[in-house]
Amino acid sequence: MFNVNLVTRDGASIEFEADSTDTLLDAAAKANIFLPAVCREGGCGTCRVTRKAGIVSIGPYSKSALTDADRAAGDILLCRSKAYSDLQLSAPFDRAAVGFAPVPERGARVIDIAPAGAGAIRLALQYEDDPTHGRAAEFIPGQFMELKLPATSIARAYSLANTPNWDGTLEFLIRQHPQGAFSGYLRDSAKIGDLLLVKGPQGSFTADEASPSPRWFVAGGTGVAPMLSMLRQMVEFGMTQEARLIFGVNTEDELFATDAVKELSRSLPRLNVTLCVWQPGPNWTGFAGTPAEALAAALADGGARPDIYVCGPPALIEATEAIALAGSVSHDRIFSEQFSPA
Amino acid sequence: MFCYQCEQTYRSDEGAGCSGSKGMCGKDAATSDLQDVLLHVCEGIGQYLHRARALGATDVEADRFVLYAFFTTLTNVNFNAGKFVQLIAQAGEIKNRVKALYETAAAKAGKAPETLSGAATFIPAADMNGLLAQASEASVRKDAATLGEDVVGLRSLVLYGLKGVCAYAHHAEVLGEERDAIYEAVEHALDLLASEPKEIGPLLDEALALGRANFVAMEALDAANTGNFGTPEPTQVRMTPKKGKAVLVSGHDMKDLCAILEATKDKGINVYTHGELLPAHSYPKLKTYPHLAGNYGGAWQDQQKEFAEFPGPIVMTSNCLIEPQPRYRGRIFTAGPVGWPGIRHIDNGDFAIVAQAAAALPGFAEDAPEETVTIGFGRDTVLGVADKVIDAVKAGAIRHFFLVGGCDGAAPGRNYYTDFAEHAPKDTVVLTLGCGKYRFNRHDFGTIDGLPRLLDMGQCNDAYSALVVATKLAEAFGVGVNELPLSLIVSWFEQKAAAVLLTLLALGLRNVRLGPTLPAFLTPALVNVLVEKFGVLPITEAKADIEASLARAA
Repeated sequence: MFNVNLVTRDGASIEFEADSTDTLLDAAAKANIFLPAVCREGGCGTCRVTRKAGIVSIGPYSKSALTDADRAAGDILLCRSKAYSDLQLSAPFDRAAVGFAPVPERGARVIDIAPAGAGAIRLALQYEDDPTHGRAAEFIPGQFMELKLPATSIARAYSLANTPNWDGTLEFLIRQHPQGAFSGYLRDSAKIGDLLLVKGPQGSFTADEASPSPRWFVAGGTGVAPMLSMLRQMVEFGMTQEARLIFGVNTEDELFATDAVKELSRSLPRLNVTLCVWQPGPNWTGFAGTPAEALAAALADGGARPDIYVCGPPALIEATEAIALAGSVSHDRIFSEQFSPA
Repeated sequence: MFCYQCEQTYRSDEGAGCSGSKGMCGKDAATSDLQDVLLHVCEGIGQYLHRARALGATDVEADRFVLYAFFTTLTNVNFNAGKFVQLIAQAGEIKNRVKALYETAAAKAGKAPETLSGAATFIPAADMNGLLAQASEASVRKDAATLGEDVVGLRSLVLYGLKGVCAYAHHAEVLGEERDAIYEAVEHALDLLASEPKEIGPLLDEALALGRANFVAMEALDAANTGNFGTPEPTQVRMTPKKGKAVLVSGHDMKDLCAILEATKDKGINVYTHGELLPAHSYPKLKTYPHLAGNYGGAWQDQQKEFAEFPGPIVMTSNCLIEPQPRYRGRIFTAGPVGWPGIRHIDNGDFAIVAQAAAALPGFAEDAPEETVTIGFGRDTVLGVADKVIDAVKAGAIRHFFLVGGCDGAAPGRNYYTDFAEHAPKDTVVLTLGCGKYRFNRHDFGTIDGLPRLLDMGQCNDAYSALVVATKLAEAFGVGVNELPLSLIVSWFEQKAAAVLLTLLALGLRNVRLGPTLPAFLTPALVNVLVEKFGVLPITEAKADIEASLARAA
């Protein structure tokens, strides 16, 4: 057995044993350490960490989850890596994102389902009261839940858009996909009162609360959901940190959640919002281009290098990371969460 | 960063002090450096306030700000770097205001205002990176190479003692009790520190002056607590949970506790105290709340385990906070001077959200077997039976009193205090206060002539109560306090305890046994001063120290 030492973003040291038969993710789980992961198949990049020392073998993975540049920088995927020596790992998430008990599964009922604009759906659930957890919605803004359809094995992960609360409300912004199983449920049969199984909270895409740097949020489409959650918490906590939201869609009619963004602008005096439309019509007066291009322009303006949080499709993640690195933002100050069609 | 203000500071062969990226308390380098800057700006405020006061002009809002600002820098209070950026900006504005106050007062008095230097002229940067770049100007070890460790250590003693005074005075102020003498002493100390003193004598005098000011601060806090909540009375407190929804309140702030009791009343929610709020159960007004159900857990250093197991929200009203763990991170709240990045802070006294959280969280599923301790032996209770106590002493039934009090902590050497209390002979009485009591307060000490052998006098600030009792007993016996059959066995951890120690020294109490280790900022030469001049004794072994104490009194 080899010793694995993983140091979190906030400096906590987590140790477990591993050998060449289990992935690092599974080896940690055997020690009741549940590290952030979603797909567990090398496809999402949620479990990406940096190898500081030691030897691993890495199984097949998607280049969108671990780019060649990431790998060259020493990054590995816990779900695809096996230990061949003692390991020193550095994680881009806080200890708070690490579970030391299995992720809870709880029942929650649909309390609202409504179009959010541009083919997106706002789905609101409310936890059932249970003796172990009560009814509180406890999570860290930026995290996600796996929603399991009633009477099926279909489960999909969606980021929360609201903030932790005591009435048990969970809010999601879900992009509808014509062939998506969960989209089909939402479109055809979901109704108020439906009971869903919610597994979570999960994920490590959370704000580095101890960082003094400005927070820049780069979002594509429904990738804005975790950004709304993090920004809303900044409002609730009365935080005065400089922040920037760069939110992009393909066409003007795809813009959604604009009321929520306006409300954030009113509540956070130091929030700068850039709405981006990739293929704008003639009347569009905002930024024409992708969020990554808007980021490049913002970084070129100078100022303190920000922490960058990016959520969206793989292409946006890749472009944002490349631009951020080119703009002198260090690799360990870029935090990403990629989503895929559901 | 460099910090050596608390007992658990990093010690090695190279010396003592936390440096690098994080202190032993969990405070990161940025937060530590920003705290230094905040204190430096406050010294500038003090320079102007001190001079304005001499001309008859005061600014009580500025004084209150200084108390609060200093309190945020105590060990295990506020770890939120962003908060310190805000406080520094606020301090800068206040400094400009009190500068104008001073200049106006000087003009009215027909005097030219002094041209000040140092902290008074320090202009804090506008953002965190700029402030961090300025931190070296504010470090406690600035100029250590030329000043020598003795001067640096003594300056530190004054600074840390001042922190303790400010903390107690802030507690009193929020409950409506203020003393001009405290503000005057704080301003004087700030002005002295800002002058970058290099002489041992004036610094030692200032430390003792702060000790006297701290006595006033503790008196004010005593008046605040008793004035608002009544006189503590002997009370049995449940130490185990009851079935039902639950809130846990930690720290020292009884005003916040009272507000939480109000916010949760008639909602089927039980409120539990933690740590230094245990004495709250003995105050008549707080006892009127039937849902003040009991006390949960032990001293502060066990909180990560105990809070994780508590099935409701937790409110930290003052020190001691340590890093919130994932299992309770979402349900811990801070209030008053306390803070942690990413943890919800309540700064308006509205604890409705805590009641909501308690209702939403599961609470205790069942009653635990009942266990109780008896508390509430404040000065009025003890002096109420003074004749019995005096008779017992005269008859030889009570041979000696040991005040075993102060802070608890995780260091193995703290078992000394457990051993001391439990090995104290059966014909001695153990008085206790502070969170150090958790090491032995469930032990059955029995009684002497119907008087409990263990008398819990309250929080660390209730050292005031103990001193009043000692003074009255000394009067009754016609001796000085040092001639009483009384030994003080003090455990320290942070700056409130440092202030209490200065009070004991300032009042002339000798033979105080201090541990578990001596403050790292006290050099051997300074320790020697404490030993020679004030009779301070480092602890050794519990049994040996008991015997030595009894022999001295014989």
